[in-house]
Amino acid sequence: MLDLEQRWELIDKIAKRTIKFGKYRHTLKDAIAEITVKPLTGIPIAIAVLYGFWAFFVAFAGFFTDGFLVKLFDMHWLPWLQEVFPAGKESWLYYIFVGDPLADNCFEAFGMLTSGLFVVIGVVLPAIVAFYLVLIVLEDSGYLPRLAVLIDTVLHKIGLHGYAIVPSILSLGCNVPACTACRILETKKQRFIMRTILAIFIPCGAQLGIMLKVIPETVGWVILYLLAGYFILGFILSRIVPGESPELLLDIPSYQRPTFSNVGRKLWVRTSSFFTTAIPFVLLGVIIINVLHLTGVIDWLATGLGPLLSGWFGVPKETVGALIVAFLRKDLAVAQLSAIEMTKYQMVTSVVLVSIYFPCIATFVMLLKEGGVKGFLGSLAALVATVFLYGGLLHLIWILLGVA
Amino acid sequence: MRILLMGHPNVGKSAVFNRLTGARVTESNYPGTTVDYTKGRVRIEGDSFEIIDVPGAFSLEPKDKAEEVAVKMLEENKEAVAICVIDASKMERGLYLALQVIEKGYPVVIALNMWDVAQDKNIEIDVEELEDILTVPVVPVTAISGEGIRELALRIKEASLVKIEKIIEKAGN
Repeated sequence: MLDLEQRWELIDKIAKRTIKFGKYRHTLKDAIAEITVKPLTGIPIAIAVLYGFWAFFVAFAGFFTDGFLVKLFDMHWLPWLQEVFPAGKESWLYYIFVGDPLADNCFEAFGMLTSGLFVVIGVVLPAIVAFYLVLIVLEDSGYLPRLAVLIDTVLHKIGLHGYAIVPSILSLGCNVPACTACRILETKKQRFIMRTILAIFIPCGAQLGIMLKVIPETVGWVILYLLAGYFILGFILSRIVPGESPELLLDIPSYQRPTFSNVGRKLWVRTSSFFTTAIPFVLLGVIIINVLHLTGVIDWLATGLGPLLSGWFGVPKETVGALIVAFLRKDLAVAQLSAIEMTKYQMVTSVVLVSIYFPCIATFVMLLKEGGVKGFLGSLAALVATVFLYGGLLHLIWILLGVA
Repeated sequence: MRILLMGHPNVGKSAVFNRLTGARVTESNYPGTTVDYTKGRVRIEGDSFEIIDVPGAFSLEPKDKAEEVAVKMLEENKEAVAICVIDASKMERGLYLALQVIEKGYPVVIALNMWDVAQDKNIEIDVEELEDILTVPVVPVTAISGEGIRELALRIKEASLVKIEKIIEKAGN
C-alpha cells in the first residue's frame, strides 16, 4: 500500500499527463454562487429564501385546502355520509366511522371516514406536496450546503455545526428520514444532540399543515417557541454530553438547475410513501381514540391525569385524548385539539405539548435504531425533562402575563 | 458478481445507480444524500448483476457514520467489482479513492461523471491516456441525462485487477 504522500505524488503525475485546464470563464452561476455564501449578501438572501419557502407553503396549502377541499368535505362528503351511512346514528359503528351526527364540519365530527379522511387528504396532503416541492428544489439546486456555511457559527453554540441544517430542514418534512440523515455528522455526540432536538422540537410537514389550518393566528408563536426550545436544549446537551464537536469541513457543490424528471420522481416517491404510511395510521388513530371514548378509557384517564394537565400545564383535561393520538400521528392530534373548548393560550400550550411530548411512533423507532439503547434512553430522558419543564414554562408565562 | 458504486460524496453515485437499475433512489445536490446502502439489479447483455449504491466516502479511513457504512460494504464484498464514480471536474481528488480501492485489490471501472460540467469549465481530459496509465476502463458519463451509461454498463466486464506498481511505472515515463 502507498502512503498518503506517495499516492498524491502518483495522482499528480497522472493528472499532468491527462488533464488540460482551458481558460475559465466567470459565469453568472459563479456570481450567484458567490453572493449566496458571503455573509453580507448571503444572510439576507437566506432569509428571503426561507421566507419564500414558508410563503409558498402557506399559499399553496391554503389554496387547495380552503379553496376546494374544505368545501368538498364539509358541504358534500359529510352530509352525504351522515345520510347514507347504513348503521343508526346511535350505534357505535356510526360513532366510530362518521362520528358526531350533529357535526356540520369534518373537524368536529371525528369519525374515521369524516375527520380521518379530511385530515389526511383535505389538509395534510396539500401541505406535504407543497413542502416537498420546495424542499426538493432546494435539495437539487445545491443551496442547502450554502445555508450550512451561513448558519455554521450559530449551530456551533449548540455543539453542532452548519451541516446540521440538513437534517433539521429534512425534519420539517418528516422526522423519520431526518434521523437517518444525522449520520452525516461526525461524532456520536453530535448525532445524539441532533436526533434528540429534532425529534422533540421540529414539527413535521403534516403537523405544520394542520397547525396552519387549526391555529392560523398563533402558529408563528408556536413555531418560535419550538425553535427557541431547539436551541436551549441543544445548548444544554452540548454542555453535558461528553464527546467532541468538530469543525465544519464541507464541500460546496456547484449550483445545478433541478430537472423536471428528478423533482417529479422524488415528489412522487415521497407523496406515495406518505399515502402508504400516514393514511393507515391516521385512520387507525381515529378508530382507537373512538373506541377508547366508547369504552370510557379516555374519561378515566382524563380524570386521573386531569390535575396534572390543568395544574401543571394549564390545559383542559380533555386534551388527554389528543396526547394519546399524538403517539401515532401528530397531525391527527392537533386536529383533535381543535374540537376541544379552550382559550387561545391554552390552545397554544396544547399544541406545543403535542409537539414536544413523545415523537410519533415511527420517529420513536428511528431513535432506537439509530441511537442504540443507550442513545435512545438518553433522548427519552431529555424528552421527559423537556415536556415537564418547557411545557410547564409556557403555563408560567401565561400566568405572568395574566392570561392563564 | 456484485458491483459496488464507490466515490466521494455528491459525485452522482445515486444518479448512476438509478440510470443503471431504473430504481428510484433519492438523488440530490448535496453531499450526504445517501447514508445507507441500497441494492438493485442491473441487466447487462442478458446477465443480471447485483449492484449496490454505497454512501459517499472521501477515503477508506471513515470519518462519519455514512463513511463507515461505505468501508464496511467494501470489506464485506471482497469479490465485488467497484465502479469508482469520479467528478470529472475535480478528477485528482476522485482518483485518490479510486487508487485506494485498486490497491485493496478490487477490479475497478472508472466513471468520469459530470462530464458535461467539466466541458463547460473547459477542462480537457485525455481519456485514452488515462485508461492506458491506469489499465482499467475509464468511461465519461453524464448520469443526470444518462449519457455514457450504456458504455459504462458494457465495460464493467473489462474490469480486472491491477498492481499499483504497474500504474506507478506507467505514470512515470
